[in-house]
Amino acid sequence: MVPPVAVSPLIKTARYSALLAGIVFGKRRYDELKPIAAEERRIEEEEKKVREEQEKIAKALAEGKRPCLFLRDYWQICSHVCSFK
Amino acid sequence: RVHLVFSAAATYSKPRLATFWHYAKVELVPPSPAEIPQAIAGIKNILTGVNSGRLGQTTVKDAFRNGLVCTEVLMWFYIGECIGKGGIVGYAV
Repeated sequence: MVPPVAVSPLIKTARYSALLAGIVFGKRRYDELKPIAAEERRIEEEEKKVREEQEKIAKALAEGKRPCLFLRDYWQICSHVCSFK
Repeated sequence: RVHLVFSAAATYSKPRLATFWHYAKVELVPPSPAEIPQAIAGIKNILTGVNSGRLGQTTVKDAFRNGLVCTEVLMWFYIGECIGKGGIVGYAV
């Protein structure tokens, strides 16, 4: 068996400081990206709700029926359409 | 039987783990506090080499070898990032 090589201290400190720097960087980036993703999920959910309402209306119109809207739904759709950033 | 699988895995891995430990004990240990000044001296060495132009005299073979070592050190950063973000591929947000 080949005897183990004596690694220079510069390489050893560089390796382990790179490892520490990577752990810190990964943790920080994760903490930064987590609320952004939660916000995007929330917006996606709201948009999906509005889209589903509009699809329901389109389907009812295509079937030849008047879409049955409560005033509440109508108000929600208008407010969602107006409030997109 | 399941315990046969485990015992077979143990007998297979023991010598290999032993060789791994034999090399890792010397090569993969973190630097002891006495070695950190040596590392700083090494960095100063490199800086003086850059300033005096000595580093321009390195052979391609040596430069390639040093490049491989630097790449390995950079890969440790990515392993650290995987540990920090709690996953291997991508951030689990």
